[in-house]
Amino acid sequence: MDQALFRLLMMRLRGGFRLRLIQLTSLRGLLFFLAFFGIIWLLVVTNSSSSDMGSMSNAALDRQALSAQISTFMPISMLAMSLLTVALTTGPTFHFSPAEINFLYTGPFRRRDLIIYKFGAYVAGATLSSALIAIFAQGQTGSALSAFIASLLTIIFVQLNSAVIVMTAQTLEGSRLSRIRYPVIALLLAVAAACMLYAWATPDRNLFDLLSAFRHSWIGTIILIPYIVFAELFVSSSLPNMAVWACIALLINIALLRAAIVLDARTTDRALSENARQSNRWERVKQGGSYWATQRAEVHSIRRSLVWGGLGPIAWRQALNVARDSLKVVVVFVGIAACAGPLVAAVGIPFTDPRVLTIVYTFFGFILPRTLVCDFRGDLSRMEVYKTLPIAPWRICAGQLVVQVLVTYVIALSLIVSVTVFEKGFVTSGALVFAAFALPLTVLIYTVENTIHLLFPKKLVPMGRADFEFLGRSLVEFIAKTIVVLAAGAASAAVGFATLTTFRTSLVLPALASWITLTLIVLLTLVMMQYAFRRFAVAETVD
Amino acid sequence: MITVTNFSKQYKGFTAVKDLSFSVEPGQILGLLGPNGAGKTTTLRALCGIIPPTSGRLMIAGHDIAEAPIAAKQNIGYIPDDPRLFDTMTVWEHLAFTAAAYKVTDFEKCAEALLNSFELTHKRDTLVHNLSRGMRQKVAIACAFLHDPKVILFDEPLTGLDPQGIRGIKQAIRERAQAGAAIIISSHLLSLFEDLCTHIMVLNLGECRLFGTMDYVLSEFGQTDNNSALEEAYFTITQKEEMGQA
Repeated sequence: MDQALFRLLMMRLRGGFRLRLIQLTSLRGLLFFLAFFGIIWLLVVTNSSSSDMGSMSNAALDRQALSAQISTFMPISMLAMSLLTVALTTGPTFHFSPAEINFLYTGPFRRRDLIIYKFGAYVAGATLSSALIAIFAQGQTGSALSAFIASLLTIIFVQLNSAVIVMTAQTLEGSRLSRIRYPVIALLLAVAAACMLYAWATPDRNLFDLLSAFRHSWIGTIILIPYIVFAELFVSSSLPNMAVWACIALLINIALLRAAIVLDARTTDRALSENARQSNRWERVKQGGSYWATQRAEVHSIRRSLVWGGLGPIAWRQALNVARDSLKVVVVFVGIAACAGPLVAAVGIPFTDPRVLTIVYTFFGFILPRTLVCDFRGDLSRMEVYKTLPIAPWRICAGQLVVQVLVTYVIALSLIVSVTVFEKGFVTSGALVFAAFALPLTVLIYTVENTIHLLFPKKLVPMGRADFEFLGRSLVEFIAKTIVVLAAGAASAAVGFATLTTFRTSLVLPALASWITLTLIVLLTLVMMQYAFRRFAVAETVD
Repeated sequence: MITVTNFSKQYKGFTAVKDLSFSVEPGQILGLLGPNGAGKTTTLRALCGIIPPTSGRLMIAGHDIAEAPIAAKQNIGYIPDDPRLFDTMTVWEHLAFTAAAYKVTDFEKCAEALLNSFELTHKRDTLVHNLSRGMRQKVAIACAFLHDPKVILFDEPLTGLDPQGIRGIKQAIRERAQAGAAIIISSHLLSLFEDLCTHIMVLNLGECRLFGTMDYVLSEFGQTDNNSALEEAYFTITQKEEMGQA
């Protein structure tokens, strides 16, 4: 690498490190940092103590079973990720920020040096991620060092593999080969759908059996060869064995880096426009917009806004926001929710299983609110506008929630309908109860989410990979939200139970009492949100 | 129309504005002048209800902004120094949004006229994130004028505008004042004040150092060979302050 670029890389790393130290000097930064590592430590301790509690032979058996699963499913997952990259043709190539383009593109550097510089920056970030992953993966690989090496090489492979796929697609753009892209994607989707249907229709075989059979077939082994190398890194039983796989993985990564440098020369113009697009997107994300926002400059204007006593314009603005910013995300989430039924049926786990419910809650309570933002959280930089409107604060708050809640509720309903249709034994009355309670629960999740953001405003994206304050805060927020949801759920269930024991009627009256209790709690949280909006100080900087 | 009585604003122990009192009548244009951190933007933000005052009364068209914020805000048009528009909405949709928020029923005709006067007609269906800084400023001004406010507050209104745009905005401000609006402009452009303002207030370190009509300022400070009267007044007041502090 060029000496100047190497020096720049070192200075940026040192700057990043200094920034983390500065974060730690504030009480809030220190608390979130401690919270983040406290939760990580708790997870590690819980993990190790649960394995200590079982006998040694059981632990060995568990490890063997996990190794078999990693060996089978990790290559398939990595292949799926590569196919997704092909389908989207966007993704992590080598992204240069506007500052880097201004300084480095005009500097006396070769493109090759710039790519290596960027790759070096990426490796530095990946090293940190690998160190974190190694804490959890060491139980599987036997030592922290082997877990670290396996994670690092795999993360680098994922990045380089995606970059090479995207660059290849960009090189082939306009050629005959690019025309077969969509038919091939359609064919693969059809095969996937057929497999799911087959698994659903065949009682003694589930989806995982089919995937396992594919992985262990000769054709599966050939297709998955590069990915198998990285799975073997995690399941190697001895150090020499691991060293061999690590060498092969390293060679694959070097070959991919070489390919990226060669392909980069053919895609320089495209890379520049992609960089500009990517930078604009990130700028918009920082302002609370969506990464998937429309790239169009002009659209058909809607002539009039809703009024609804002041609540309408805010809801209308957020509806337009979803339609133009996040429609693709909504479609993907509705698709995922609709696939949940067949997936759960194919796997053979009932929907009411606590593990499934935990995944569903994590999806609705953590993943969805982080990905789909169409309420106050995305408008923190525009609070000035809301503060000057002649609309009562509670109407502004309610207007902000309408679209976010409705969209989430549609996704939840898709999930419920899908499970009702595909899961045998899941009765319609159960689905109706889920549907009825999903609405106040959704409002509750987003009211709490918005209240926290208004009381303690924060940026929507982390400042780099190692923003422990951001990560710690996200975890603390999720825990706080879960406590409120659980408390509201418990209070609602208690009222339902009291109604049942008092009146000894059918379950309809207790369910209704529970629902009303939950709705009243939601209204109380809405009052809290209104208070948070009123006391929101625009003049103070949103960090 | 605008009456400010003993207004103070403190942020965590720091006094941004201290004991400020003034009034602006219909048809008057008050220019707020002062160095960075003098308290100009804080005063404007408090007047339009973005930040609450620590003490004092801020009356807009007879309504206290702290006690009757909805009624007061119904009469205000505020143009911030960096207008934050909604990325996913077009120029026209910003006007439709404003009309719904301020309950302006038949807004189309007025909106068309505003688009025309600010040369935005051809940009009506453009998403605002594709507009230049100056264009976005024009959209913000058009939105602020749509509900025909009795009080208009401008924070650095000419930033990013081309000469044609500057002339257009100046003309629009004059017309609004002639129509009876009370206007406050905060800016660092002294020439803008000389062109438009009927009154001047010089703020420094959160306190009012000079308040009077433009004629009073001109007669008090006169014109030197190199500087205009306003420039003379500004530097005399602020430099005296700095020397005093030193």
